[in-house]
Amino acid sequence: MDSGLYIAASGMLAEMVRQEQISNQLANVNTPGFKSEGNVQEGFGELLLHNTVTGAQIGSLSLGAEIAETPLDLTPNPLHETGEPLDFGIEGEGFFGVNTAQGVRYTRNGQFTANAEGVLTDAQGNQVLGAGGGPVRLRADGTVKASDLGVFNVTGVKQAGENLYTGNAAGAGQGRVRSGFLEESGVDAARMMTQMISSFRSLEADQKSIQTIGETLGEAAGTVGSIT
Amino acid sequence: MVGALTTAAAGMEAQQSMMEALSNDIANVSTTGYKSQRVGFRSLLYQAPGRGAGAGAVTGAGAAAQIIGENFEQGSLEQTGRSLDVALTTPGFIRVTTPGGAVALTRDGNLQVGPDGRLRTADGDALDPPVQIPAGVDQEKLSIAPDGTVSAGKRKLGQIALVEVTNPNGLQPDGEGTWLPTAAGGPVRAARGARLQQGTLEASNVDLATVMTQMSEAQQGYEMAGKAITTQDEVLAVANGLIR
Repeated sequence: MDSGLYIAASGMLAEMVRQEQISNQLANVNTPGFKSEGNVQEGFGELLLHNTVTGAQIGSLSLGAEIAETPLDLTPNPLHETGEPLDFGIEGEGFFGVNTAQGVRYTRNGQFTANAEGVLTDAQGNQVLGAGGGPVRLRADGTVKASDLGVFNVTGVKQAGENLYTGNAAGAGQGRVRSGFLEESGVDAARMMTQMISSFRSLEADQKSIQTIGETLGEAAGTVGSIT
Repeated sequence: MVGALTTAAAGMEAQQSMMEALSNDIANVSTTGYKSQRVGFRSLLYQAPGRGAGAGAVTGAGAAAQIIGENFEQGSLEQTGRSLDVALTTPGFIRVTTPGGAVALTRDGNLQVGPDGRLRTADGDALDPPVQIPAGVDQEKLSIAPDGTVSAGKRKLGQIALVEVTNPNGLQPDGEGTWLPTAAGGPVRAARGARLQQGTLEASNVDLATVMTQMSEAQQGYEMAGKAITTQDEVLAVANGLIR
């Protein structure tokens, strides 16, 4: 069959994944410490075409595309003041560490609270790691010294959901913790809206290619093949 | 792919929860001792998108919002000159008993003398332990010391219990300016450093300018997630349009 059909179909599938990712970005425009995610599209690989008679090279043919990666943009975003003593933002690079049932995870969302023992936790109840890796305790007035919170340098950062990231801690981060502040979401809403529209038009173009190839095949079967 | 629809819908829902919490704050902008709500946003589960994506790609399922307690920042003090108005000038709570007999905590110090002669909050919760004002004592002449001691002249009548919990964010708000103790909040204990000021009330700590800014942010987020739903619907229509 015509490989063009499959190439165009792979393009449509890739655009549909992109749409899903853009929806997720737009859903998180107000999630503190959210890191924006790209969507890198890659070709499947290429075939070298040869003239079957002379053997001369004609050129290459791509076999379609897919969304290959979802890279994170870890650039620190601006902090905004909330006045709430248990809101924390990191000015500069680094992550907060939290102790979850699955092991240590990292986050830039510092909307913290505490448990009945007076230990600082995230909104899901996971203990926040202190500068030395131990728990962070609230002072008598219910606040926490910002410098008690650990800031970790993390490499190989990957999304784990629920505001959390996995990765390998590599020493203390450069960033400074500020109490009463939250980091804004890294999603650039205007850019996402534009991407959503352009991706939609690409999807339509892919659909048109599929329809055109379909019509061509119809012609081939109906007209060229007819005996009369 | 239908996932993109639910992802965008989750975003709308999260923004809606935010708007609900903000509306509640706005409604309580002049409620004595009210504390604004803290709304926490979080991203949801991440997984591989399936067809159309390589092994390195992931996509999230949108966002969710939840109330993670209250912002216990001190509200501003309003001078009323009324002898039975007290405001806490420090963290902590006044301990009261609800009509149902449960222990509750409040920061609303707009006290009244009930028909039985006991000091009550404006909502009718009696102080715990009770403070009895004997008949014939002039309410205007009552004095309330910073530590909560209620006296008429040199005669001590009782004590307003000032208490605290380890984690105020864990308290359960009961919607009438009072909170109920919970396991997550920790045990209720005497607050040694807490101070009252007679003749004043603590205003709501809702800052209208901040709330309005947050409201417009949430509204924009809601609209964008709504736009995403429309687009995802069109995407599905294009896919369906392949077969004519």
